[in-house]
Amino acid sequence: MLTVSVKWQKKVFESIEIDTSQPPFVFKAQLYDLSGVPPERQKIMVKGGLLKDDADWSTLGLKNGQKLMMMGTADEIVKAPEKGPVFMEDLPEEQQAANLGYSAGLVNLGNTCYMNSTMQCLISVPELKSELSNYQSARTKDVDQTSHMLTVATRELFSELDKSVKAVAPMPFWMVLQKKYPQFAQLHNGNHMQQDAEECWTQMLYTLSQSLKLPSPSEDPDAVKALFGLNLLNRLHCQESSEESSETESVFSLKCHISHEVNHLHEGLKHGLKGELEKTSPSLGRTAVYVKESLIDSLPRYLTVQFVRFFWKRESNQKAKILRKVDYPLELDIYDLCSEDLRKKLEAPRQKLRDIEGQKLGLQASAKSSSKGDDVKMTDAEGSSNQSGESSTGDQQEGASPHMTGIYDLVSVLTHKGRSADSGHYVAWVKQESGKWVQYDDANTSLQRGEDIIKLSGGGDWHMAYIVMYKARLISM
Amino acid sequence: MAPTQDPNSVGGGAKKDEATLKVPSKDPKKKDEKKDEDLSEEDLELKQNLELYVERVQDPNPELQKAALESMRQEIRASTSSMTSVPKPLKFLRPHYGTLKAFHETMADSDLKKYLSDILSVLALTMSADGERESLRFRLIGTEGDIGSWGHEYVRNLAGEIAQEYTKRQSEEASIDDLMELVQQIVAFHMKHNAETEAVDLLMDVEDLDLLLEHVDKTNFKRTCNYLTSAARYLPGPDDMLVLDISYMIYMKFEEYPNALQIALFLDNTQYVKQVFTSCTDLLKKKQFCYMIARHGITFELDDEMVADDDDREALQDIVNNTKLSEGYLTLARDIEVMEAKTPEDIYKAHLLDGRASSGASVDSARQNLAATFVNAFVNAGFGQDKLMTVPSDSTTGSSGNWLFKNKEHGKTSAAASLGMIQLWDVDSGLSQLDKYFHSNDNPIIAGALLGVGIVNCGIKNDCDPALALLGDYIDKEDSSVRIGAIMGLGISYAGSQNDQIRNKLSPILNDAKAPLDVIAFASLSLGMIYVGSCNEEVAQSIIFALMDRSEAELGDALTRFLPLGLGLLYLGKQESVEATAEVSKTFNEKIRKYCDMTLLSCAYAGTGNVLKVQDLLAQCGEHLEKGDIHQGPAVLGLAMVAMSEELGVDMEIRSLERMLQYGEQNIRRAVPLALGLLCISNPKVTVMDTLSRLSHDTDSEVAMSAIISLGLIGAGTNNARIAGMLRNLSSYYYKDMSLLFCVRIAQGLVHMGKGLLTLSPFHSERFLLSPTALAGIVTLLHACLDMKPIILGKYHYVLYFLVLAMQPRMMLTVDENLKPLSVPVRVGQAVDVVGQAGRPKTITGFQTHSTPVLLAAGERAELATDKYIPLSPILEGFIILKENPDYREE
Repeated sequence: MLTVSVKWQKKVFESIEIDTSQPPFVFKAQLYDLSGVPPERQKIMVKGGLLKDDADWSTLGLKNGQKLMMMGTADEIVKAPEKGPVFMEDLPEEQQAANLGYSAGLVNLGNTCYMNSTMQCLISVPELKSELSNYQSARTKDVDQTSHMLTVATRELFSELDKSVKAVAPMPFWMVLQKKYPQFAQLHNGNHMQQDAEECWTQMLYTLSQSLKLPSPSEDPDAVKALFGLNLLNRLHCQESSEESSETESVFSLKCHISHEVNHLHEGLKHGLKGELEKTSPSLGRTAVYVKESLIDSLPRYLTVQFVRFFWKRESNQKAKILRKVDYPLELDIYDLCSEDLRKKLEAPRQKLRDIEGQKLGLQASAKSSSKGDDVKMTDAEGSSNQSGESSTGDQQEGASPHMTGIYDLVSVLTHKGRSADSGHYVAWVKQESGKWVQYDDANTSLQRGEDIIKLSGGGDWHMAYIVMYKARLISM
Repeated sequence: MAPTQDPNSVGGGAKKDEATLKVPSKDPKKKDEKKDEDLSEEDLELKQNLELYVERVQDPNPELQKAALESMRQEIRASTSSMTSVPKPLKFLRPHYGTLKAFHETMADSDLKKYLSDILSVLALTMSADGERESLRFRLIGTEGDIGSWGHEYVRNLAGEIAQEYTKRQSEEASIDDLMELVQQIVAFHMKHNAETEAVDLLMDVEDLDLLLEHVDKTNFKRTCNYLTSAARYLPGPDDMLVLDISYMIYMKFEEYPNALQIALFLDNTQYVKQVFTSCTDLLKKKQFCYMIARHGITFELDDEMVADDDDREALQDIVNNTKLSEGYLTLARDIEVMEAKTPEDIYKAHLLDGRASSGASVDSARQNLAATFVNAFVNAGFGQDKLMTVPSDSTTGSSGNWLFKNKEHGKTSAAASLGMIQLWDVDSGLSQLDKYFHSNDNPIIAGALLGVGIVNCGIKNDCDPALALLGDYIDKEDSSVRIGAIMGLGISYAGSQNDQIRNKLSPILNDAKAPLDVIAFASLSLGMIYVGSCNEEVAQSIIFALMDRSEAELGDALTRFLPLGLGLLYLGKQESVEATAEVSKTFNEKIRKYCDMTLLSCAYAGTGNVLKVQDLLAQCGEHLEKGDIHQGPAVLGLAMVAMSEELGVDMEIRSLERMLQYGEQNIRRAVPLALGLLCISNPKVTVMDTLSRLSHDTDSEVAMSAIISLGLIGAGTNNARIAGMLRNLSSYYYKDMSLLFCVRIAQGLVHMGKGLLTLSPFHSERFLLSPTALAGIVTLLHACLDMKPIILGKYHYVLYFLVLAMQPRMMLTVDENLKPLSVPVRVGQAVDVVGQAGRPKTITGFQTHSTPVLLAAGERAELATDKYIPLSPILEGFIILKENPDYREE
């Protein structure tokens, strides 16, 4: 008969008697009484070994008063959950892309950053993407071969970008683009030359507007035009003859002219909509100076503004750049650039928008008043405001009747860094649906802060905005 | 007589002339004596007297001679107190040195000649040409009187000449008895006059330090030993050992046992340690010794010779076994109020990074969850609670089981093992927490539980050997992950124990032809750890055979590097003892030969500061190699290992590593950040921090990765805000690169290790002692980091847990005579080097007063701010027992 003490967790069971004639299992049963740990879960440590159920006490060399240690719990054994978690590493690439929250970058194929940044800006327009996916792969007669190929290549590129996490090399697209517009294939010292992103942008939109015109002729003849195009009402006025004429013109973008007085996008736009030109006056019978004033007659879903930063410098024979700082807002209101008719149309939606915003600001106050005064109208308005709020950020098509408000939100910026249009570096900065800004610098993508986007306004050698794209804030009535 | 040519006044010539013009007009008496015009009346008299003595000395009448010599001696003695300028009598006697010398030659041997020799010896102090050692020559034939009476400067000069003469005579094998007699006198003089350092210097020059023992006394032994121990760092072997031996003997002589123990531990001399125990009679002091041994992390068995009483011995052994470490650590944590568990998110502080960090983390990333597991383990290490693993498992959501299963495959091993880290040092509750995972049917989880048991027992010894009992059965299991878990667990828990039972279990694996390479690699590592610094032949043999048996393909595997490393650890810090094995390693396959060579060299000389070895390693790094050779990595690490022992070496090494960054090949550049990390481990020096920060953005991702890990290492356990900020920015900079982000997370976990209460520094006791097991742990991790992709970023990420060997609380905890925590005021400040300073200089500067327990940062020292208690160890680190001061009076 031996007496030992057993340490278990923080407790010590003193003076336990071991009947050495019985197998150790009996001892374990004793411990079960004390600790509640079932014998099969008990691990009793005796000098660097475990006590086996069938061990012989005499061989263990136990001494009276020896301390033993027991390990074991009556806890439940950990079981693996039925369904293990899904790890990002196990997902196919496209799903990883979806989790990333934004699409991949584009590899620079040798001075193709102008093309990469242009395409990154365009891909951020979901409507364009859906139009492209509806585009038939078979060519119709009305589209020339190269335009068709370019459109298909664009579609392929967009879908590829959506799927992948790693940067995509836009080789097929690049080949087709060169075929369609040979000026982009110009070589200099055996390398492709840097090109003007604005030219690429304009040509791409032109091609797409040509090829996407046809499939759904019934509703909207030109999808691209509906998205990007705006009508200008030009009024020509000759001061000498007091002649007046007006015409409408359809353009894809507004120009922001930069002169010494221009400090802000708004001023530049105004400046760009006013001009003088010489033309033969029918009444005077000679050329006279006409003042041309333009007003916006219809608003696009996406308003593109080009900063006219480059001008042809005859002395140096190249496109020189104006580095002047021109601020642009995250939220642009072009109400005062609109024609009378359009302004009238905009009145009601704008009022509504103001109401909603006012309500949002004074949300608590209105909630109080509605609870007190049982104001059914008010709650109605609130309900609709929520709806419209969603529809304006989400899918516009679903809203009952989305109306333009003349207010636009900045969605993408194409910047240029360098001193002339044919050199330097183009980068795209695009706002994601999540509200985060992403910088697409060829293959590299990185998250940016909203504040930093407005800082791309020029005035130094840092990236400065060249083309900005605004998205209309819509409201359902 | 010509005007005296005083070399000291050459520059003042113009001024003197000016004075010359004025003086005569005022003092007509001196008109005639143009040559002495610049002398005052007193000086003139002195000069004339001396000239008279010189003449008289040459007088044939011995009486007159004697009187003259006596007077001359008087004059000189009266003046040589300070040597800021040449004393007047010496100056005036200079022109006569030649005359006197010539006369001395002609004299017959007599007392007078001896007298004259004395005077000539003093005159030679300023006159003798370099290398002539005339002062010494005349001294030896002069009277054997009290040399001190001629002043300090004379003695100092004499000591210098003795050293020169000694080396000369040594080479000629001439007798040195007469010199030694003089040395005796000089040492006695120095030791009496607060010039211990000079006495020690002289004795080191004449290689007879034993003389010191006769001359030290209560007032000067501390300064003497202080100088000896710090000089030992700069001496070549075996002189350094000799010097330490002497200082050990001096400490023992004056019963300064804690210091004696320190040196015994430094020398790794168990005999000396025993001697300290047997010589000391105070039980309380012995307890303090046990705390010191426990901190050093060696296995030490007390026997009845050292402590007679059984109960006492058990109590002391408990301290050596570190069983109270967890308790003390938790006391510290409660006092500092950091018991609240932290989540990885508390560490990442992503909210400080405006919206750039987490983008759409809707799906779990296995890599990031694994990183969170490690961060959680490091941050909550030793606290016994966390928010991922130990939360009560009954709640259906967010239970511990769930976090475990949020890790993928081998990730579960690290997750289960992290429980061991959280329960670190608390064997009882740790084992009960881990128990449930033993019954899992998932192999990685079992492997993790086994490794966890090893981690919990790290540095803790227990009579029941729970780790061996639990892990022993698993090392021969089928699944290699389970085997590795058990093997690594044993290596961690028995590091430094030299346990033969484990060796018998592990050695067969090494030479088992069927065992997979990873199992063999970890077995070799574990054996290296268990026998660290033991030079054990048998283990070395097994590893060597294992290395020879590897096929060409296996030698190319990244894990193979653990085999030479295991071998190197056996010789950690053992210098020449490695040579036989190094010779054998030359026969290895050329793929591994140089790697092995570098590893052995760097391990054997780790912490010695041996300059020659640093040069050897530098030469290796200077070569520009063809691709494929990997031995320069360990060579760069070796530089840091050798040089890390003292501040000067560290600074020099940091500078030369900077050079290597500029000129080295890519494989060197990858190792440099790791070397920097080792040099400044848990010691965030700003310059190093900046270098690493720069490298963390390197275009080579492997350089960046090692720089990031090293940022974690230098900040380990410091909560350094600057490094934390850098890492936070890196986490957003690399948010897309999963591998780099993983490294950033690990580094973040390291910086906040133990919520800032821990250190990884293998040095302790005022940077004097180097804990071999701690160094082994760090070096292993660094070697693993030389090739991150297959090891840490692959499925062997649990090698990160080797760091546990170096983890120690950076605390000072005072306890009373019953070993219960006792709070007293202490001053904590920057340590000041007081070696060789006279008097009782302040040991700390810029201090603040706290009450214990307190945290000590790198380079900080504490001292008691009260006289009420007397600490039982002069080195206030770790556990300190306080005794009440019997002389204390309340004011």
